[in-house]
Amino acid sequence: MNSMERVMAAVAFGSLDRIPVIAQVFGHAAIVAGVPLDEYIQDGEILAWCQLKALDLYGYDAVFSVMDVNVETEAMGSILNYHKDQYPTVETYALSKENNWGSLSTPDPEQAGRMPEMLKALRILRRELRDEIPVVGCVMGPLTLTTQLLGMETALYLAIDDPDRFGRLMDFATEVVIRFGVAQIGAGAHLPIVFDPSASPAVVPHQFFREVELPRLKKLFESFKQAGAAVNWLNIAGPVESILPYYTDAGVNIANFDYCVTPHVASDKLPKTCLDGNIKPLAFVESAPDQITTEADMLLKSFAGRGGFILSSGCEIPPESLQENVAAMVMTARNTR
Amino acid sequence: MDALINALLVGNGADSIAHSQRLLHAGVSVERIVIEGIEEAMTSLDEKCTVSQFNLLEIMLVGRSVTDVMNYLYPGGSLPAGSKDTVVLATMEGDIHDLGKNILKTVLMGKGYRVVDCGKDCPLQKLVDVSEKESPLAVGISGLVTSIIPLVKQVRGSLRARGLEQVKVMAGGAALKQSSAERLHVDYLAETAFDGANYLDRISGGAIP
Ligand code: B12
Repeated sequence: MNSMERVMAAVAFGSLDRIPVIAQVFGHAAIVAGVPLDEYIQDGEILAWCQLKALDLYGYDAVFSVMDVNVETEAMGSILNYHKDQYPTVETYALSKENNWGSLSTPDPEQAGRMPEMLKALRILRRELRDEIPVVGCVMGPLTLTTQLLGMETALYLAIDDPDRFGRLMDFATEVVIRFGVAQIGAGAHLPIVFDPSASPAVVPHQFFREVELPRLKKLFESFKQAGAAVNWLNIAGPVESILPYYTDAGVNIANFDYCVTPHVASDKLPKTCLDGNIKPLAFVESAPDQITTEADMLLKSFAGRGGFILSSGCEIPPESLQENVAAMVMTARNTR
Repeated sequence: MDALINALLVGNGADSIAHSQRLLHAGVSVERIVIEGIEEAMTSLDEKCTVSQFNLLEIMLVGRSVTDVMNYLYPGGSLPAGSKDTVVLATMEGDIHDLGKNILKTVLMGKGYRVVDCGKDCPLQKLVDVSEKESPLAVGISGLVTSIIPLVKQVRGSLRARGLEQVKVMAGGAALKQSSAERLHVDYLAETAFDGANYLDRISGGAIP
């Protein structure tokens, strides 16, 4: 089985030669290749090259064209602060509550900000890996983009004070990420993973997720399917237990679960959906390889009877993670039949 | 006073100000409004917000009403002399997660502390400069990404190098919470914002106001 077949079989709860393993290696690929993080997240060619290098080193089952959570908001006018060895941060948000948003238009992924670089990386990765290894792009969820356009607190207060206006901005954010995601599929992504940290129950209650985010996620995932996405993958960090039951309705095929949710709870909430998770991200920085192996082993065992599982980290593998820890997770899956 | 507490707890800023106004007109002192109104509201929020039942939006809305009332009671933002100590807060350079820091700010203000907020993505240098200027009781650092841990470890040493060894350093936030006070070289590692506020109450007990 190649990686693509293995991942698709896991999604379908089919039979497998081994459990797929996908380390969520983004900026860590730059560190592995000895490239400064700020170059990695601004240059599609460097990004693709580092991803291929990390794939060679670790031998896991997918590569990512993921920069950081600010690509869309920057393309729409937010000013970022770049740091040499860290992810960029927003200095000035594109929108303010007082602005009139009448003139907003969706950015062109071939032109705006770093979007073209992400597409470039996808073209290279797909050319090199064809259909053997899943090539994964990335967009923000509608709520995350909205909070990244206004700032988290301004956005959340607006949701309470003027829900209609907030809803219109959410709809617009949905259009932006649909256009970006479809362009990624056009450039060679097998799918764009949807990152939606602001929709985490750490931030908004699950009722808010159900009423405000779910309908837009549904639209997003439908559009990706129509554009040819192989599967739909959602990553929301934190204590997601209360929102997992909505994922089926949203059209999610692979559901990421963070370290604070147990495999038992995740399987219980989503009995028919492929899950990926959930080794604690910080463990890749602070633990030793044998601890990672034990963790990974326990995860594989807890899903042995069920299937529909991809061994992974609970969220991004931190850039500064120890290589032997990432390798330990991958090897555990590769050595288990 | 109960009406004020209720208005604060449902996050209604306009009503909260109206009730404060009424109390002032009835001759209730500003101090009593803060202690028996705002601090009371914060305490009941503390009891409600256990770690598993944490509702950020609710806290944010209460926080906004508290800020409205504080601005009404102390126009211009300056607390009168003799109020509680100063606390300097920051999220360190490279980290933009500031929801937790802002909640801490609200909780501390609600308890009558004077808070100087260095914002997010704050360089160590700025934190030390501000601390030198404000001579706070404590510095509070919020950290959600692990990559800032090396910076956090330098805070106490940098303060000491400026002769600010009396300033306590407390830390909190998802990334730092997974570590320990010793490893981070800080005086206190808080589980929640309320936990941090209670720590300050304990150490400010004997301090000069
Ligand atoms: C919302 C969120 C975001 C928002 C933040 C918006 C904002 N303005 O804050 C956005 C979308 C912008 C974001 C961006 C990123 N995020 Co983020 N995010 C989250 C999420 C889902 C929730 C965090 C949160 O706000 N919680 C709610 C607040 C209220 O809780 P809190 O901060 O813990 O605060 C409470 C207490 O801890 C305490 N407290 C906090 N600080 C302090 C300080 C003191 C002194 C005291 C006394 C108390 C105290 O008070 C609060 C109330 O009790 C977490 C997941 C999680 N489970 O935490 C990831 C998470 C923090 N993010 C993470 C990451 C990796 C990122 C990015 C780097 C992603 C990327 N690849 O680009 C970027 C960050 C860029 C940067 N340089 O910082 C990781 C960090 C992991 C790591 N190894 O470091 C997390 C843990 C997700 C994960 N599991 O991997 N994120």
